[in-house]
Amino acid sequence: MRKILWLLVVTLLGGLALAQPKTISGYDSLGVVNGKPGGSLTLALSSAPQTFFYYGAIDSASEALANQLFDGLIEYNLKNYQIEPALAVSWSITNGGKVYTFKLRKGVKWSDGQDLSADDVVFTYTQAVANPEAKGGDSENLAGVKVEKLDASTVRFTLPKVAPAFIQYMRLPIMPKHKLLAFSQEGGKPAAEINNAWPTSVDPKEVVGTGPFRLVSYTPGQKVTLERNPTYWKKDATGTTLPYLDRLEYLIIPDSQAQVAQFLAGNIGQLNITGTDFPTLKQREVSGAPIKVVQFRALFGSPPHLAFNYDAKNPELAKLFRDTDFRLAMQFAVNRKRIIDDVYNSLAELPGNGMAPISEWYYNTTKLLSNYDLKAANAALDKLGLKKGADGIRLLPSGKPLEFTLTYGSNSSTFSAIATILQSDFKAIGVKADLQGILAANLLSTGRSKDWETILLALGDQPDPELRTPIWKPGGALYYWHQSTFPASEGGPPQFKNFFPWEKEIYDLWDKAASTTNFTERKALYDRWQAIFARQAMVIMIAKANSVGAVSTKYGNYIYDLGVIPGYYPVPLMFQR
Amino acid sequence: MWTFLLKRILVAIPTLLLISLLVFAVIQLQPGGFLQNMLDDPRVSPETVARIRAQYGLDQPVWEQYLGWLKNIVLHGDFGFSFLNNRSVSSLIWERLGWTVFLAVLSIVATWAIAIPLGIYTAINRHGLAANLANLIGYLGIATPDFLVALLLIALVLSTGGSNVGGLFSPQYIDAPWSWARLGDMLGHLWIPLIVIGLEGIASLMRQMRANLLDVLGQDYVRTARSKGLAERVVLWKHAVRNAINPMISLAGLSLPNLISSTIIASIVLNLPTIGPFLYQSLLDKDQYVVMALLMLSAFMLMVGNLLADLALAWADPRIRYE
Repeated sequence: MRKILWLLVVTLLGGLALAQPKTISGYDSLGVVNGKPGGSLTLALSSAPQTFFYYGAIDSASEALANQLFDGLIEYNLKNYQIEPALAVSWSITNGGKVYTFKLRKGVKWSDGQDLSADDVVFTYTQAVANPEAKGGDSENLAGVKVEKLDASTVRFTLPKVAPAFIQYMRLPIMPKHKLLAFSQEGGKPAAEINNAWPTSVDPKEVVGTGPFRLVSYTPGQKVTLERNPTYWKKDATGTTLPYLDRLEYLIIPDSQAQVAQFLAGNIGQLNITGTDFPTLKQREVSGAPIKVVQFRALFGSPPHLAFNYDAKNPELAKLFRDTDFRLAMQFAVNRKRIIDDVYNSLAELPGNGMAPISEWYYNTTKLLSNYDLKAANAALDKLGLKKGADGIRLLPSGKPLEFTLTYGSNSSTFSAIATILQSDFKAIGVKADLQGILAANLLSTGRSKDWETILLALGDQPDPELRTPIWKPGGALYYWHQSTFPASEGGPPQFKNFFPWEKEIYDLWDKAASTTNFTERKALYDRWQAIFARQAMVIMIAKANSVGAVSTKYGNYIYDLGVIPGYYPVPLMFQR
Repeated sequence: MWTFLLKRILVAIPTLLLISLLVFAVIQLQPGGFLQNMLDDPRVSPETVARIRAQYGLDQPVWEQYLGWLKNIVLHGDFGFSFLNNRSVSSLIWERLGWTVFLAVLSIVATWAIAIPLGIYTAINRHGLAANLANLIGYLGIATPDFLVALLLIALVLSTGGSNVGGLFSPQYIDAPWSWARLGDMLGHLWIPLIVIGLEGIASLMRQMRANLLDVLGQDYVRTARSKGLAERVVLWKHAVRNAINPMISLAGLSLPNLISSTIIASIVLNLPTIGPFLYQSLLDKDQYVVMALLMLSAFMLMVGNLLADLALAWADPRIRYE
């Protein structure tokens, strides 16, 4: 008995000595101070979670929860989005960028007390991420990647070819093998079975993670309750174990107005808002309400753009839309300043071309975006031979009026307002745009169909351009404005014969950038792409909104959190005053 | 009576089949592919979308999807599964049914308990001040959309410094066990949805009842009853109201499907944990088996409601006999 006790003490001490907590510091410029433990915070979710298993669905609510329950091998610095160690304490990239070796942090425990090990990492990547049947997996980007355990705390990824953005996939949450084996192929189940892991009706104790919080309960359609994970591996500068908060609660409130009301009533501690809600909340802050409205320049988020369908069904329109001079002429009529001031309440900046202005990859294209100038727009359209008819609308060569539909998301106040501004300015230069409102949720599938002429759409920015290859590389699945470049057969090469010379140039730039891991080299290539993008007005970027959040003054250390970005975890730093 | 019941049930089966066919067709005609919208996520490729379609069985012909769904209901009592939640539709509906039925029953009871007496009162005192006031409120109730009433009440609560601006509980009581404090908290929240959902119903029912009663009060048999020297109380309650209330019973039968489909917008604005917002979200997401199950449930309840109303009419009105 005594022997066993001794053994226990030795193991415990050994465990402590080996533990490698991560100290979170250096965020003074973001206003982060040492907090005090205790308290609880209530946040809002816009929809009920579909599952508690991150890889079982593409679902923002599940993602927001996963960010509190799990960790990846690496994570972002909250200030500059540089990559930092998380569950991996260090890593090396060898063999010309094809071999990634990660050393795991020692002493990290799952919330049920089990140790995190290399097996969990291998399990997560082979059984979930690379599983083509996992609905929230990422099998295309992990195709051909070999994942091996070298020892209990070392994992090696061997890539079939160089992939410069590969490190970004290491932000994905690591899952506990001992809880999920029964749903996996390794556990003898069909590949699709993994999607059935941890449904929303699961016993909360089964949902085991390494994250700052753990699941306590879920009331269907109403509330998710999390509590502090006492064994979390992050500490603040004074050595206090994070997170500070004892409880984290999520209220499920689909309607954004209802969210604002709940925030004002004090039932929600922090809320991400849009420029539209800003005036009301700011006014309340100024008049002394115990809230603070904060804005941050955004790396993530989706800046809207105006796209012309190069393959419009009407051949005359298609010919015009393919003409760079026409798109540039139309760009003169895009009043970005007014949109930023009126629609975003000045909480936005001039957009980048494919990269957020705050990104390290951003190339300054503001000079190429052209200023709002109706005279210049008129002159450029005149030069294209588009004469004005009797009613002031320009005429196409066939004598028909220059008229097209402008599809936008009618249930988004931002999109509706932008569409109206564009329509009235286009009218002033003799171009008739007929607004066609559809559900914002259906914009992307409409864009990828053939049933549109011009469209107002927003696609998400990412920290590495490589992650957005399907959008910006001609012929990609989301290069939807020029669909005749799509591969003739699924998985085949794009139809190069339909490329414009500048599209071919972009294509080659992207090919080259994907084959090197040298930052300077890649940056030069992507700079060139952004310049071509802007010069050709491939699509017309409108504006890049800032992230705006409102927080109750009860809480300290608030840093804006989109909630759905794996690897960006500011909540553990928040505390209740 | 029993043959009537049997006949009605037999007629209901083909009707439900026809409705299900119609509903399925409408869902298929809805534009937009919800899976394609996932493509903006860097994790999702067109190949993934194709694979998920296959998992859902969406790559099969539409009629096969329909027949498969029908077969599972008939053979296994299985209403299909939710694409988004990867769970059976019935378990998802079941989770939300409790509060939905509670709210609906409560608001229906409150509506009738207020509307019928008010209708009778305004009919008898048609020129009185109180009756005119009730009518005015009734007009306003009909004219104002329920979600607007909800927003106005929320604004009112906020401006008075209150915190019960939606849902049925304060956050800390949502998952708490039942206690007096929790009951009190619920009552503090409940009055808003009751007013919002009830107001429109009260207004229209009240006006209906008033019109019916005025109609009946002008009938010959009421005059006969009066001229017989019956007490006004007996004339009113035994002869007039009993006849005037018949159309209301039919109306009550029609209100049963409201359990699911009515007040969707108000429920979203007030963040009520009911089935309405769930149906709305499923429609947007084209979660087809959830939508099918809910709309079929709604149709089924309409039929049951009608049947119950017919039976109640037979009981209440000796002139109606189903033989």
